[in-house]
Amino acid sequence: MSEIRKAAVIGAGVMGAGIAAQIANAGVPVVLLDLVPGFAAAAVEKLLKTEPAAFMHKRHAKLVTPGNLETDLGLVADCDWIIEAIIERPDAKRALYEKLQALRKPGSVVSSNTSTIPLDDLITGLPPEFAADFMITHFFNPPRYMRLLETVVGPATNAESAARVTAFADHRLGKTTIACKDTPGFIANRIGTLWLSAGVRHAIDLGLTVEEADAIAGRPMGVPKTGIFGLIDLVGLDLMPLVAGSLLRTLPKSDAYHALHRDEPLTQRMIAEGRTGRKGKGGFYTMKRDGAARTKLSIDLATGDYRPEQKPRLASLDEAGRELSKLADHPDRGGKYARALLLDTLSYAASLVPEIADDIEAVDAAMRLGYNWKDGPFALIDRVGPAWLAAALRADGREVPKFLDLVGQGKFYRTDNGQLQIFGTDGQYHNVVRAPGVLLLADIKRRSKPLAKNGSASLWDIGDDVACLEFTSKMNSLDPDIMALISRAITMGKKGAFKALVIYNEGSQFSVGANLGLAIFAANIAAWGEIENLVEAGQKTYRALRDAPFPVVSAPSGMALGGGCEVLLHSDAVQAHAETYTGLVEVGVGLIPGWGGTTTLLKRWAANKKFPRGPMPAVSKAFEIISTAQVSKSAAEAQDLLLLKPTDGITMNRDRLLADAKAKALSLVEGYAPPEPVTLKLPGAAGRAALKMAVDGFAATGKATPHDVVVCEALAQILTGGPADPIEDTTEDKLYALERSVFMQLVRHPASLARIEHMLESGKPLRN
Amino acid sequence: MGNYTAPLRDMRFALYELADFKKLAGIPACADLAPELVDSVLDAAGEFCAEVLFPINRSGDEEGCTIENGVVRTPKGFPEAYKQFREGGWTALHCDPAFGGQGLPKVVSLLFEEMICSANISFGMYPGLSHGAYAALHKHGTEELKNRYLPKLVDGTWTGTMCLTEPHCGTDLGLIRTRAVPEADGTYKITGTKIFISAGEHDLAENIIHLVLAKLPDAPAGTRGISLFIVPKFLPTDDGRPGMRNAAVCASIEHKMGIKASSTCVMNFDGAQGWLVGEPHRGLSAMFTMMNEARLSVGIQGLGLAEISYQNAVAYAKDRRQGRALNGATEPDQPADSILVHPDVRRMLLTMRAYIEGCRGLATLVALEQDISQDHPDAATRQEADDFVALMTPIIKAFTSDIGWEATSIGMQVLGGHGYVREWGMEQYVRDAKIAQIYEGTNGVQALDLVGRKLPAHAGRYLRRFFHPVLAWIEANSENEALSEFVLPLSKAFGRLQQCTAEIARAGIANPFEAGAAATDYLRLFGLTALAYVWARSAEVALPKAEQDEFYRAKLATARFYMQKLLPQTGALASTIMAGGSTLRAFEDAAF
Repeated sequence: MSEIRKAAVIGAGVMGAGIAAQIANAGVPVVLLDLVPGFAAAAVEKLLKTEPAAFMHKRHAKLVTPGNLETDLGLVADCDWIIEAIIERPDAKRALYEKLQALRKPGSVVSSNTSTIPLDDLITGLPPEFAADFMITHFFNPPRYMRLLETVVGPATNAESAARVTAFADHRLGKTTIACKDTPGFIANRIGTLWLSAGVRHAIDLGLTVEEADAIAGRPMGVPKTGIFGLIDLVGLDLMPLVAGSLLRTLPKSDAYHALHRDEPLTQRMIAEGRTGRKGKGGFYTMKRDGAARTKLSIDLATGDYRPEQKPRLASLDEAGRELSKLADHPDRGGKYARALLLDTLSYAASLVPEIADDIEAVDAAMRLGYNWKDGPFALIDRVGPAWLAAALRADGREVPKFLDLVGQGKFYRTDNGQLQIFGTDGQYHNVVRAPGVLLLADIKRRSKPLAKNGSASLWDIGDDVACLEFTSKMNSLDPDIMALISRAITMGKKGAFKALVIYNEGSQFSVGANLGLAIFAANIAAWGEIENLVEAGQKTYRALRDAPFPVVSAPSGMALGGGCEVLLHSDAVQAHAETYTGLVEVGVGLIPGWGGTTTLLKRWAANKKFPRGPMPAVSKAFEIISTAQVSKSAAEAQDLLLLKPTDGITMNRDRLLADAKAKALSLVEGYAPPEPVTLKLPGAAGRAALKMAVDGFAATGKATPHDVVVCEALAQILTGGPADPIEDTTEDKLYALERSVFMQLVRHPASLARIEHMLESGKPLRN
Repeated sequence: MGNYTAPLRDMRFALYELADFKKLAGIPACADLAPELVDSVLDAAGEFCAEVLFPINRSGDEEGCTIENGVVRTPKGFPEAYKQFREGGWTALHCDPAFGGQGLPKVVSLLFEEMICSANISFGMYPGLSHGAYAALHKHGTEELKNRYLPKLVDGTWTGTMCLTEPHCGTDLGLIRTRAVPEADGTYKITGTKIFISAGEHDLAENIIHLVLAKLPDAPAGTRGISLFIVPKFLPTDDGRPGMRNAAVCASIEHKMGIKASSTCVMNFDGAQGWLVGEPHRGLSAMFTMMNEARLSVGIQGLGLAEISYQNAVAYAKDRRQGRALNGATEPDQPADSILVHPDVRRMLLTMRAYIEGCRGLATLVALEQDISQDHPDAATRQEADDFVALMTPIIKAFTSDIGWEATSIGMQVLGGHGYVREWGMEQYVRDAKIAQIYEGTNGVQALDLVGRKLPAHAGRYLRRFFHPVLAWIEANSENEALSEFVLPLSKAFGRLQQCTAEIARAGIANPFEAGAAATDYLRLFGLTALAYVWARSAEVALPKAEQDEFYRAKLATARFYMQKLLPQTGALASTIMAGGSTLRAFEDAAF
């Protein structure tokens, strides 16, 4: 199968530009064209400033060649994949395709990013050669971060062409591709649009506030806390009628969406007034700025006027806890809302298999990855119980979908002998089969028992004599239990229980760092000895990990902060998910990296041959990175900071991370030797004075707060080697001891304690 | 019949030598507060308590309160004593000068409260409750309500009550049933029954101002749906006189173990007119803003009773001659030695003394921080003080009232059979002391408050205000050889407290039952350790002065006794706590 070596995106709107950026992130050159001259170039400039960032590294922007449709369409001639992301008008699209057909190279693939137009409509009148290379690839916004890619192929589509694009999207763009049928809204928007319409309609009819509705439709249902109204604000109110209109035009009259949809005078009025959400003049929620003071306002659904935000107070929320069916059975308006929303959405989803997808896993994956739901609709049905849902539908005199009836007292998912199975429309259970190169810890956990386990971590056999250490604590914060299990794993590895170790988990964050709650409680009761033990035990454990006689590969995804970053720094190699956000952020809570992070980062910069010689440059660089708590916005950026090594691997697809990490670990086994200890030449007092001058400068201009100065000076003590004579080499032992003493000095500082407390309570750093 | 002399020397020690009295100067209203003024107030207070209140204590207990047709009469001499109390300005001590108060800090008025409780705790209930009503209204009332009621509460012509408890709910106030229905004129009609209302009805004052918790018609369920109302017995006229009788009537009074001269009333509100205090549905939090102060005062009741019991036990022990000293007669020319020679009698008296002076010292430290927490101009300073007070409040309330109960019982024991009969009055102190362990949140509830709310608050930040200064003091004195006999036991108890705190936090997160099971033992461990700190610091003060002055010699000797004979309980408590709660959980309900 030939690779995609160059791509083109036509249409430089938010979606097109974002898709181009993600292709560039994969290291593939991409042409970005737009009808309006200069628009594509401006879009690239804009992409560089977008938050969250569209590019994983600014160097990727250079891979995007902007141009305009009129004069530069010839640039598509050597592209292997051309993605059309222009206005949602079939005639306009077809006209473009005709031009492309004349220019594109044989065997190239053309795809449309349409979200509403059936494939058949798009190829009407185009030659069969075009149809053979044409498909739909529907990305979600923002294209870098949303992992869903819906694909549709027509009867004429060449299977090899489709496979080539799908494989590229999977391996290189990191997408989970879901093959959809050529039906309106495909999977995610078909269900998502009905869900949003139901959410708005029932909230108005049942008299809920927007806060109440979102509190019900959000967390309890495993949906992001934006719920219904917060999400509409995010995507834009003006988009809703467009999506709804297209579905209403294309769906048969018998479809449940027709009965449910209602034009809401309130939203129409809001759109007319420019209140289209976060991008407009506020939406259902808005912020009132009065000088420096900001107050959160929300809309009164009855009057359409803003009023101060009201905390939702519903007995149903208080009493039901995480029990969804209990929530939906509660008699208050919150319970009624939950019931109405669940019944509409879940019965709709159950009625759409096999119309929109062959199996429930495709539907669930689409909602998880396209709408960020924790569980897809069928997993949600299992949570409330298929029998409960059927009974509730019957009680309301509503039709029970055949598929739901078919599952009866059973569930849509089950585990059979450690194998995950899904219920099919044939009434049988079928094994869930992962693609080659996809290895999920969740699957391994289903079929085996851990090699070792405690309250915060587990050790698993992942085959081929490789073990996987998994964090299981809250947010994967690091605590004494995790240290104990790492030590246990090292002992087991030394005895030959495995050949290589992978540190990996399937939480949304690799690790948010040390458990600050434990640390601050110990500090509050002045248990300094205990804290000193924590620091020392962490250093010992991480060093033992590094010096173990077998290779250790960490495989982070999401945040790897503080102590979590220090795990990466002590690994022989890292195989990182492209979306890895890592940094030594300890100064944010008034501390310094004390589990060897300060020492190791300094060592890396000192060993960097591309960097100027002499003791000071490496010290300055490590100081800059740690003192400003820099966090990489991608794995690529982490390599710039040397938080990852240039030789560390990056995996674009989250589902392929463990397999890649395992392969990397195995590749290191033969002839493995732990790293040799190194000594460093550090600048001593003179270097400290230089760093102090810099910090004083920041303090004078107000960039550093008083406690920043205290923390920075403490950090400088370590990096410059303490009171060392600069002529002597500083040993690693000495640096680790300095980390400990400086850490203890800072953790006793009331301003550091105030920072920790603030971080724990608000999740934000305190600038004191 | 016993005697009472206010322990002024020790009070001054607590206020000026142990606590940092100068810290009060940071409060604008106290900037010029001179020790001389405070001393003269305390001297006069001591005299008043000994001469006016103490003489009617025993008779008040015997006579009790009576009710006839809804009219409650206090015992003989009470109305006259109250008149003197009021005219002496004693009701206004710790009140806002803007409403006729004298603006003295809580730390001073607390010492006065102790004297009142020693002399006549039943009498003290009347002005005590008034002060609670004053504080709630002062903090949450509208200007109009404040102007109408506060001057009368401050000068004592009217008294106040706090109406929380109902027949079916005490600790769990979310269950209350008293209703408040809004009227067109902005007032409310209050209907319901309140029980255990101290000073609910009496003949000491011309009007009684009830602060009542009730639910508005649209109230959410639970504690977030309770509002606070002011309901006067007589509706005040515009010129501030008691006017029309309101439908707030005393139905009966309780017959109880102690504080018999305090009227404990069942109050019926039958569409009584009331005014909202503070915001709707926020009544409980309005009440809680003064709960710290009220709980501190209840702890002090235990202290006052322990003190009077101690004074009389000492007098008796010196006077009573029975048997001979074990190591040979001390007064061979007498038929027997005084019982003071017996080790067990000395143990009993020293136990009382060490607890009393320790608790007085601790309460003084906390009361001073309470003043700082309320009136210091700097927000950060206020916050730190407030953290400390929040942490120590359940400890002062429960530990000191427990000590009150234990010490009055020991005092009675010193007198043997003469303590058990009424003649010496010792048994009254025991009976009067019991209630302090029960009301204002039982001591079990205080212990739960400590482990369940105060420990986890802000990731343990309240704890810092105790643990850090104590460890700093230990570290600063670790090389001081002369003090080592105090520093070492303190540091040992402190280590146990650290260990148990960490264990409760650890076990309690996973399983709240474990924290609850440890709560009462933990509160006592905390109290004993805090007292060790008070005693160690007292010893530090006393050490250089002991040779010249018998007061400091006695301090030092008591400190030694505390460290060697009382503090070791912490070892047993730590073992109990570390054993966990499994035995409490395992026992089958049916077997009880």
